[in-house]
Amino acid sequence: MKEPAIVFKDFSFQYRVQHEPTLHDINLTIYKGEKVLILGSSGSGKSTLANCINGLIPFSHHGTMTGSVTVMGQETRESSIYGLSKTVGTVLQDSDAQFVGLSVAEDIAFAMENEAKPRREMVPIVEEHAATVGMSDFLGAVPFNLSGGQKQKVAIAGVLGSNVNILIFDEPLAALDPQMGNTAVELIDDLARDKERTIIIIEHRLEDVLHRNVDRIVLMADGRIAADMTPDELLKSDLLQKHGIREPLYVTAMKYAGCELEGTENLGDINTIRFTDEAKGKLMRFFTEESEPMPENTADEVVGFDHVTYEYDAGKPVVRDASFSIKRGERIAVIGKNGAGKSTAAKLICGVARPKSGTVRIDGQDAKSLSIKEIGERVGYVMQNPNQMIIKDTIKKEVEYALTIREMPQDTIREKATAALNACSLYSMRNWPVDTVSYGQKKRITVASILVLEPDVLILDEPSAGQDYKSYTEIMKFINVLNREYGKTILFITHDMHLALENTERAIVFSDGEVIADDKVFAVLANDDIISRANLKQTSLYTLAKHLCLEPEQVTRRFIAHEREASKA
Amino acid sequence: MNNKLVINFVPGPTPVHKLAGSTKMLIFLLFTAAIIATFDIRVIAALMIVPIIAIISMRPNYKPLIVLLSVMLVTTGVIGSIMLLIVSPDTGFSHVGGSTIIWQASEKLFITRETLWYLLVTMTKRVASFLTVMMFALATTPSEFASGLAFLHMPYKVCTIVSLAYRTIPDIASKFIDIRNSMQMRGVELSKKASVGKRLKATGQLLIPLIMSSFGRVESIANAMDLRGYGRLKTRTWYAEHELTNLDKILRIAAIFFGAAILFYIVYFRIINPYPAEMWCPFIAKEDIIAKSQFEDIFFLKWFNK
Repeated sequence: MKEPAIVFKDFSFQYRVQHEPTLHDINLTIYKGEKVLILGSSGSGKSTLANCINGLIPFSHHGTMTGSVTVMGQETRESSIYGLSKTVGTVLQDSDAQFVGLSVAEDIAFAMENEAKPRREMVPIVEEHAATVGMSDFLGAVPFNLSGGQKQKVAIAGVLGSNVNILIFDEPLAALDPQMGNTAVELIDDLARDKERTIIIIEHRLEDVLHRNVDRIVLMADGRIAADMTPDELLKSDLLQKHGIREPLYVTAMKYAGCELEGTENLGDINTIRFTDEAKGKLMRFFTEESEPMPENTADEVVGFDHVTYEYDAGKPVVRDASFSIKRGERIAVIGKNGAGKSTAAKLICGVARPKSGTVRIDGQDAKSLSIKEIGERVGYVMQNPNQMIIKDTIKKEVEYALTIREMPQDTIREKATAALNACSLYSMRNWPVDTVSYGQKKRITVASILVLEPDVLILDEPSAGQDYKSYTEIMKFINVLNREYGKTILFITHDMHLALENTERAIVFSDGEVIADDKVFAVLANDDIISRANLKQTSLYTLAKHLCLEPEQVTRRFIAHEREASKA
Repeated sequence: MNNKLVINFVPGPTPVHKLAGSTKMLIFLLFTAAIIATFDIRVIAALMIVPIIAIISMRPNYKPLIVLLSVMLVTTGVIGSIMLLIVSPDTGFSHVGGSTIIWQASEKLFITRETLWYLLVTMTKRVASFLTVMMFALATTPSEFASGLAFLHMPYKVCTIVSLAYRTIPDIASKFIDIRNSMQMRGVELSKKASVGKRLKATGQLLIPLIMSSFGRVESIANAMDLRGYGRLKTRTWYAEHELTNLDKILRIAAIFFGAAILFYIVYFRIINPYPAEMWCPFIAKEDIIAKSQFEDIFFLKWFNK
């Protein structure tokens, strides 16, 4: 008989500041030793559900609770946030903010410090927890020198108290590059090996979580449980599309090929998947079909790098001898792990950083002679976090800002701002205050505020970060309109392989400051060597190709070609 | 990151670095008290020896130290001295107890030997306190500073605020640079081409996105702390406050003697056997000193007396 760890019974919750309940009629039992994925888009209530387990609700975030939640048999409202932290460990989404200590060891010890445990008792426990997550060699390291993945490991070690047997991971993949994301999923799986531990993962990136098996998926939508089933059952249903969750690429590929999902064994795991003979035949036929070759871009160059080297500290170049050429109207993915030099390359294009040697060309002209402001009129840079760009209170003022400081005549300002607002479908909202709109809309505002200067090139830094699939798809659709209808050249700085695959033609890959690849997207993504050097991850198309004994490049190219045709239709 | 801002985040390798935060705090406070207590240049000079040795033993990056020291000497030292000589050229009289004019331009503008001596002493005092502060800053990581404050029985929430502030400084600095870059690309002129006023106004505007994007973090940090039981108990321990080393123990005993010596010095030279003037000066014999209240010489009081 399985022992229940967490039981929700007829549970609803309404935040004090909101008019509608965020969670409705939740009935859910999670058993001891289970590994459960809570899936849902932004605003589906999945994080709220987790906060009801760890006690942030009702003790830190107030509101009205009806029904009951018990954790290890104890009604949460009769416990306290502290009492619950003895059994429930929560790893927050923002592992950087969660890092409150000034070194790894201190952060792991934080909970024990708060219990006023003497130092000599803390030391062995800190060492033990650090070893569990593989951070023993970094005890003295400071947060500024750690990668996102390492910070997350520290966060996990910090909540592994002596009796913590329920672990909640709130969007553990949000801040990690693909390979680190894989490592995180593997680490979580290792922790789940211990049958005493119950693991709850909150995510919207289904495919990445399914890198390791989960027992059960609870799909949340509009504050209700939309499904509670095994991964295989969920993938075979149509619930994912219905609720704005991206299905794994290989599943999409199977649908493109017209396969029946029903008979497939282990559909949730690409490594052990077993196709029916019929499905295999259809896949073979689909992928060996010849697709039209992509047209070569023969337009003139807008941005060029010629043997560019740049360093912050003498002797340690962050960009080394980089050369590439970007043609007008291209869509390019600049990829590589954090610190590989891709952001610095963007800074060099924008003139915020100037090359130590070599030349950066913009419109065929040496950028040396152009000021940052002048480059800004040809190349627009959109930061990852829109909150870091917005300085005015209404949308219209924000969009007009770059023109106002150039002291243009009122008529011109109005005309150009209207054009930019229209291009971003913001015109009807132009008088809204900026802080009332969603994150995705803010992103749109920042793009509009750059577009008013009519740049030829747009650089977008991690456009998919911090967004669910639905708002990501909307943004990409809109960016692609800018590319197709307004002829803008688009550079995505990203480590999102899906994004590169679906929205770009060419990829420039950075590793340790050098350009290690500059080729068609499907060729780069099918190249094992480049993928591992750049800390990227094979898409599941690659594994699919191996199953079918086909060339990964062929499979990826055919997939992209089909997808582009489908989106044109 | 280390030593660029003089703030140390990683504990250094030298014996001074390895002292407990509480010992560092104790020594810092005693030296500060001693420097405040004395105006005798011989004592001040002696007090500088320990900080100098300590700083050298830590093998720091001297560049930022020299920059800081020169900024301090120019602003408070040179500019302050010139202002004093112009406004109140006879200050030395009330502190030292004599007035020997060595150069005179007019009735109101002259230089006395005693005022120069006074300036020298105050300058030495500044340098001594600078060295003491630097000794402490170089040796102490922010967490040791926080645990040192806890040792002084500060409420631990104050200590946490201090260490969290240090924790976020580098993050905020890099975020600020990102925001500034993006604004420059939109055409905000922050280079020397724009006037100082315009640049100040534009820099002020950068703070809006900086603050707005920091607000979100505050909630995450608060949640992270709540979830790990912060603030539930009245006391708290510090991982950074490690067990005392032998050097710690020796220095703590030395600190007791040092504290006693400071107390004795104050009681003896100020109360039991007070020196007639505030400062010892090699040019004036003790018998010749004309004792005078310092307040008589404050320049604006003279205008009221007339």
